[in-house]
Amino acid sequence: MASIARSSLLRQSAFAAKSLRQQSVLQNAVRTSAFHTTSRRNILPPPPQRVEGTVNDAVPVPPPSPSHGSYHWTFERLMSAGLVPLTIAPFAAGSLNPTLDAVLCAALLIHSHLGFQSVIIDYIPKKRMPNARKFFMWGLNAATAIVGLALYEFETTDVGLTETIKRVWKA
Amino acid sequence: MIAQRVGTTALRRVTKPNTFFTPHNLAKVALASQFSATQTRPVATQKLTVDDANSLLAKQRLQRPVSPHLDIYDKMQTWYGASAWHRITGCGLSGALYLFGAAYLVAPLTGWHLESASLAAAFGSLPLAVKGGVKFLLAWPFVFHSINGVRHLAYDLGVGFQKRTIVKQGWYIWGASVIGGLYLAFFM
Amino acid sequence: MAALRSTSARILGASSRPATLRLAAAPAARGFAQLADGATESQKASGDPANMKTFQIYRWNPDTPTEKPRMQSYTLDLKKTGPMVLDALIRIKNELDPTLTFRRSCREGICGSCAMNINGTNTLACLCRIPAEDNAEMKIYPLPHTYVVKDLVPDLTLFYKQYKSIKPYLQRDTPSPDGKEYRQSKADRKKLDGLYECILCACCSTSCPSYWWNSEEYLGPAILLQSYRWLADSRDERKAERKAALDNSMSLYRCHTILNCTRTCPKGLNPGLAIAEIKKEMAFSG
Repeated sequence: MASIARSSLLRQSAFAAKSLRQQSVLQNAVRTSAFHTTSRRNILPPPPQRVEGTVNDAVPVPPPSPSHGSYHWTFERLMSAGLVPLTIAPFAAGSLNPTLDAVLCAALLIHSHLGFQSVIIDYIPKKRMPNARKFFMWGLNAATAIVGLALYEFETTDVGLTETIKRVWKA
Repeated sequence: MIAQRVGTTALRRVTKPNTFFTPHNLAKVALASQFSATQTRPVATQKLTVDDANSLLAKQRLQRPVSPHLDIYDKMQTWYGASAWHRITGCGLSGALYLFGAAYLVAPLTGWHLESASLAAAFGSLPLAVKGGVKFLLAWPFVFHSINGVRHLAYDLGVGFQKRTIVKQGWYIWGASVIGGLYLAFFM
Repeated sequence: MAALRSTSARILGASSRPATLRLAAAPAARGFAQLADGATESQKASGDPANMKTFQIYRWNPDTPTEKPRMQSYTLDLKKTGPMVLDALIRIKNELDPTLTFRRSCREGICGSCAMNINGTNTLACLCRIPAEDNAEMKIYPLPHTYVVKDLVPDLTLFYKQYKSIKPYLQRDTPSPDGKEYRQSKADRKKLDGLYECILCACCSTSCPSYWWNSEEYLGPAILLQSYRWLADSRDERKAERKAALDNSMSLYRCHTILNCTRTCPKGLNPGLAIAEIKKEMAFSG
C-alpha cells in the first residue's frame, strides 16, 4: 500500500513541478501578448476606483434643477416633435415658404445645439474634467451663435435652406 | 484535481521544496496526508482595526482593472445599435450644418462662393457617381435619424418597449434607411 | 479529516486508472492556459462520444495586480455537466481549477449573485443554458465596465450606494384608517407587477453604455426601475421628493433609451419602460 502511495505521490510532485514550470512560461507569454480586451483605446479611461464614504453611505443626491432636468427634457422632446412636420412638409409641398423655412432653420439649430450639448455632458464628465467641460460648452455656445448668425444671413439674402437643398439636389 | 491538491499540500507542508525528494520527507508527507487527525493552517492571520482594513481596501481598489465593455458586449447592441448610430448620424448632419454655416459666414472674407446658385452650379459639374455618392452620404443619415427619431419619440410616450419589437425594429431601421437613402440619392 | 481520508482513497484509485485530469499543453502562440476534461475509461470503452465544449473565462488575480487580465480556456465534457453555465463553472472550480472565482448562491435565478457577461450579453449564469447544438467557444466575462475584485467578481459597492440613495422603502406619514395595514386596490397593486420582481443583479445597469461612461452620477436602469417601483406605489406619500431627487441633468436624464437594459434583463423585466414612465410623469405632472 505504501509503495502505491509513494509512486503516485512522486508522480504528483513531478506533476506539480511541471505545472509550476508551465505556469512561469505562461506568465511570460501573458506578459508579452497583451490581453486583447483590455481597453487599448485610452480615450476617457475610467480612473482608478475610489469610493467615497463606506458601503453603507448613500450616494449624495444632487440638488433639484428642473431647467437641466425635466423642463430641459420636455423642451428637447417638443423641439424634436416639432421637427417631424417641418421635415415632412417640404417633401409633401415641394418646398417651404420663407417663414416656415426660417422656422425650420431655427428648430434645426436648437435641436443641433441640444444634441451636441448632451454629447458633451455624456462624454466629458464634469467631475473628472471640469475645465474641458467648460471649454467645450462655451465653444458650443459660440459655434451655435455663429451658425445662428450665418443662417440668419443665409435666410435673408439667399433663397432659403430647403430651396437650396432642392436646387443642389436637382443639379 | 485531487491529485493536484495533494501535490500542493505536500509542497506547502514541507518547508523547502528542494528537499522534497529525500525519503525522510516523503515518508513524513505520506504519513501526514494519511494519518494526521488535526488540521493545521499554515497561514497566519492577523487582526486589523477597522481603519486599517478600510485603507487596505482603498489601496486594493486602486489596483483593480475595469472589466472589458465595448469590445465584448454584443455588437448588435453597441456598435450597430440604432441608438449609437442615431447619435452618430445626428452629429454628422448637425456638424455639416455647422460647418456650412461657419463657412458661409466667412465666405465674403475668403472669397468663397457658397450662395445657392454657385453651389448648385458647382455640384452640377461633378461626375454622376460622385454626385450620387455625396447625396447618399447626406440622405442616408437623414433618413436614419428621422426614422429613429420618430421611434425615440414613441419610446418617450411609453410605446414599443417589448423586447421582440426592439430587436426587430433595429433591423428594419437599417434596411429602411439604406433603401430610403438610395431612393433620395438616385431617384429624386 | 474526512476530506483527507477521501483524498487518500482517491489517490489509491487514481493509481489504478489514468488520472481524470490532464493539463493540456498551453498553445504557446496565444499564451493562454488550457485545462481540459479527460474522457474516462468507461466512456472510451462504450464508444460514447464526449461532447466537449470550451469556455474562455476572464481571469485577474488581485494578488498579482500588475499582471494584465487574461482569458483562460477550460474544456468540459457536456455529457458530464449540468445544462446551465453555472453548472459548468462550478464543475470547473471543483474539478479543473479551484482558483477560479465567481459569485453564486441560489442557482435558480432569485439571488442575482451569478450575474456575468456570457457570450456578449449580461445574464445570470444559473439561468443561461449552454448551447449544446454547436461547439463554439463560450466567452465569459465579469459584468462590463465594473471594477474587478477577482476573476468574475465585480465590485458593486457604488451600485448599492446608489440604491440606498433613492430611499427604497415606503415613506408615509398618515396612519392607515383602521390602524392595521396600508390597503391598496387590486388595480394599484397591479402597477407594481414587473417592478417588484427585480433582484438587483445589475445586469441591466452594466449593459447600459450611459452607465458605463457616467456611473458616478447617472443612477442606471436597475436603480431607476426601483425608483419607479416606489413612485408607482399608491401607498407612498413622498412622490414629490422622490421626483425632485431625480430632477437634474445626471441622475435620470442620461438615459437615451438605448434599451440594452430591456434586452438583457434575465428576469424579463423592462427597465427601459420604467424609466420612460418616470420621464413621462416628470414631464406632464410638474
